[in-house]
Amino acid sequence: MNEMSKNENIDIQIYNFAYLDENTKRMIRRALLKALCIPGYQVPFSSREMPMPYGWGTGGIQVTSACLIPKDVLKVIDQGADDTTNAVSIRKFFQKTANVAVTEKTSDASLIQTRHRIPETKLKEKQILVYQVPIPEPLRFLEPRETETRKMHALSEYGLMYVKLYEDIAKHGHIETAYAYPVKTNGNYVTDPSPIPKFDNPKMNNSPAIQLFGAGREQRIYAIPPYTNVKSLDFEDYPFEAMKANFKCSICGSSDSYLDEIIVSDDGKRSYICSDTDYCKEQTKLNSKKEDQL
Amino acid sequence: MKQDFLFKASNISKYYGQNIGCKNVSLDINPGEVLGIVGESGSGKSTLLNCIYGNLEVDEGDIFLNDKSKTILNFTKISEPKLRLIQRSDLAFVHQNPRDGLRMNISAGGNIGERLMAIGHRNYGEIREIASNWLEKVEIDVSRIDDKPSTFSGGMQQRLQIARNLVTRPRLIFMDEPTGGLDVSVQAKILDLLRNLVRELGIAAIIVTHDLAVVRLLADRIIVMQNGNVVEAGLCDQVLDDPQHKYSQLLVSSVLQV
Repeated sequence: MNEMSKNENIDIQIYNFAYLDENTKRMIRRALLKALCIPGYQVPFSSREMPMPYGWGTGGIQVTSACLIPKDVLKVIDQGADDTTNAVSIRKFFQKTANVAVTEKTSDASLIQTRHRIPETKLKEKQILVYQVPIPEPLRFLEPRETETRKMHALSEYGLMYVKLYEDIAKHGHIETAYAYPVKTNGNYVTDPSPIPKFDNPKMNNSPAIQLFGAGREQRIYAIPPYTNVKSLDFEDYPFEAMKANFKCSICGSSDSYLDEIIVSDDGKRSYICSDTDYCKEQTKLNSKKEDQL
Repeated sequence: MKQDFLFKASNISKYYGQNIGCKNVSLDINPGEVLGIVGESGSGKSTLLNCIYGNLEVDEGDIFLNDKSKTILNFTKISEPKLRLIQRSDLAFVHQNPRDGLRMNISAGGNIGERLMAIGHRNYGEIREIASNWLEKVEIDVSRIDDKPSTFSGGMQQRLQIARNLVTRPRLIFMDEPTGGLDVSVQAKILDLLRNLVRELGIAAIIVTHDLAVVRLLADRIIVMQNGNVVEAGLCDQVLDDPQHKYSQLLVSSVLQV
């Protein structure tokens, strides 16, 4: 509270620090602690109305709000980019309500809220990655009854999850699922990694950072603590493959980062650029340095 | 207690409030034996079947299964995870309506493979091979393996449901009116198939039906139910040829002769 009173800005004083009231934050933190204790388990929490529509990251900002402290450095990305609408508005929201420092650099951030990507730059200890989750239940489209899916998790009856992958191979000859690819957390619960591309799945495994997942509409929080085993589901004869478009970024030239496909002309010419804007900038800088040295 | 039985239910009662679902029913089955449960609609056949399968909680009575390792398990005492595991491996349930027993939006191969994957199969090629074999066994063209059951005829759906249930080689299969709602020629085909599979694999079965022809063809023993009570029990031919209880007599005499 001291931090806040120091600030002269009237806008900020209308809200409690980081928008949510302290009791709500306490409730969310309790859910987060429980989630961290049982990796991959979906903890119900009483999600609040946020000043934005469902589907825009209401779960993510509640988790961020409960985790933020005044000395945090916040980064917000949407599909890897720092400068898209969703990212910009959430970043401004916390600048206004919490007055925290913000950054676009992954390595400088202490808390990163993300929609559908994991940054290319390796995460470190003491960083928190908050995912926005639309549908936390990996079994939802296979088994519509919530009572039944909870039982299936409790008894680890995951045959049905494999039926989905089986169907993929039967239809397409390979596992076609390209995003929200189910993982097994800590050898126990099957977890939805939120709609990140499966290219990012290996980054979840044994990550030094804390990974928190918030689903606002569905009122669920789950988490993957640091250095936890996260395994993507697969078949013995059809192993998991992280995949990306087989091109180079047309801005920085990187061939190992996840690419967005962009149609650049009316006759359908395509261009591929890094989806992680911060990584792309870093690579461009590195390239120009190298050129300077030459 | 005799040790060679496969499945035994003793004094099962189930009440729906004031109404009786079934009352004081006992039955036992030896390995490879087929038991028919007959009776009119509302006589408690399906209630009994669901009770002894473990889908419905019983109000009184005990249910025992002699499992693969010769341990006798009491369904009313074991934990839910254990019960569900047994339901997936040792037991199987064929519903009257294939829509209840199949996943309609998943291919035939996926439907058969589900039980395999549920008990830990993780090799796609293997699962697919087993699924094709089973399609052959139930006389569905193997080229239909990737088609959804919704594109199958009623008889094919029922045969697919049977394949899906038998794939893990259960030792006891529960069937609730397996041929209800099918036309007569398709019924005959399914019965023929069931008889062959049950005999060939030595699977025991409990078949609930109101169709006496079905039990005549499949069952070794039958029990006749009325208003939730067992009114007569015995060898199939004995009960059908020489019914003792007046309700069994009525049931046998009301079969249409062609």
